[in-house]
Amino acid sequence: MVNSFEEVKEIFRYRELLRNLVSRDIKKRYKRSALGFLWVMLDPLLMLLIFYVIFSGLFGGSVGKYSTYVMSGIILWQFFSQATKVASFAFLQNRNLINKIYLPKAVFPLSVVSSSLVHFIFSLIPLFIIILFSGITLSFSILLLPYVVGLVFMFSLGIALTVSTLAVFMHDVIYIYDVLLLGWMYLSAIFYPISILPEKLQVLMSLNPLYHYISLFRACLYDTALLTSGHIVYGSVFAVLSFLIGWSVYYRNKDRIIFYL
Amino acid sequence: MLTLQDVSVQYRLITERKRTFQSHMINYMKGKRIEKKTFWALRDISLDVHKGESLGIIGPNGAGKSTLLKVVSGVIKPTKGRAHTNGKVAPLIELAAGFDDELTGRENIFLNASILGFSRREIEERYERAVDFSELRDFIDTPLKNYSSGMVARLAFSIATEANPDILIIDEVLSVGDARFKQKSKERILAFKNRGIAILFVSHDMEQVKDLCNKVLWLDHGKIKKLGDTHEVISEYELHQFDRETVGLK
Repeated sequence: MVNSFEEVKEIFRYRELLRNLVSRDIKKRYKRSALGFLWVMLDPLLMLLIFYVIFSGLFGGSVGKYSTYVMSGIILWQFFSQATKVASFAFLQNRNLINKIYLPKAVFPLSVVSSSLVHFIFSLIPLFIIILFSGITLSFSILLLPYVVGLVFMFSLGIALTVSTLAVFMHDVIYIYDVLLLGWMYLSAIFYPISILPEKLQVLMSLNPLYHYISLFRACLYDTALLTSGHIVYGSVFAVLSFLIGWSVYYRNKDRIIFYL
Repeated sequence: MLTLQDVSVQYRLITERKRTFQSHMINYMKGKRIEKKTFWALRDISLDVHKGESLGIIGPNGAGKSTLLKVVSGVIKPTKGRAHTNGKVAPLIELAAGFDDELTGRENIFLNASILGFSRREIEERYERAVDFSELRDFIDTPLKNYSSGMVARLAFSIATEANPDILIIDEVLSVGDARFKQKSKERILAFKNRGIAILFVSHDMEQVKDLCNKVLWLDHGKIKKLGDTHEVISEYELHQFDRETVGLK
């Protein structure tokens, strides 16, 4: 426990590196493309368009409401899935550095999750545009947004630490996780209402952390009925659990990683 | 300043890429336990380096020189034994490892310095001096991919030596840039030495080692072959090399 604290202090000492890694990531991702930063907004909008064309007839509701529903699901899902998917390569990709210079290795997965957070915050812009057009008025529940985003960050970081560490020892983890994400996405009520699921499955949904986060996110934005203590408690417990597991997987293996890179 | 106590490092030997689930399963079904081939890159190394001392590390390829430097800089934790360093360690190993081609010289200075653990303020304090020393002010906002390899090396050297270390680790980097810059970097390293900074220097160039070091460690197969006065160890090492070559010729 004491040593664990030392590692946290080391990561804090390298916060400038963390900042540089995040800003490099953002710069590089948009420098090369013609539309540059606009892609942050276009990307979720285009995905929304696809989902809308295919599913709006099925699940109905008004245009505005369905758009908000899907859009909020998409960008929160993208935050989590991008963060953890890219992070799965975090140690492997930086093997050159890790092999040559001492640094607290956890800054790499941490930087990936952090830059996903930055993208998420930018992609709130198109979301709020949609909300504006839908005629939805925001309520005080929006104040809970930082807490919900914090939970997703913590949950993602835990998974990122776990997956990136395991991937060093067995590369298959990356592919397995990829497939897992695909299934996970369909189970997370992003573009369909949970009410269409059989009742048994609806009960099982409470075991899906992302379901709680997406619901809480929607609660913050427009659907205060979703603001239940169940979602908050489950969401918080999953976040803490994920982080503790991820940290201990990383911490136990951090000195062995170098021999497998 | 630096103490190593019975330091041993064990590597796993990877003969081929066998880290997929499939090959694990196949081996498991064949009843094979995973072969664990290991070897000791360093064995029972004990040494002290004090303030102001500079230790040259020599030996054939694969003797464990780089592994020793990695232990000192904290990249590798020893499998056995203890490594204790007192103060800030700055590595001049593979200087450009932390560079990014697509970023400008300026951005790379900030990135690379933060890799060495600097805070933002510390970097800003040193930025101007590093640029001056590198003599690259005119190119500082050009992406690194347009630099020549000599320019990249100059930039890296300038950043790493701004670190104000207590222990400086140098792995064959005195061959940086053109003759004039080489001289300049050598002077800078000598200035470090005069300031009382402990230096670990790995090189195959015995003249450079004689120039810089007052103590030499001769490593062979991960073990200490000889440790002592520079000229004594080097002449014995050269004699040994000579013997091996002549025996090889027969």
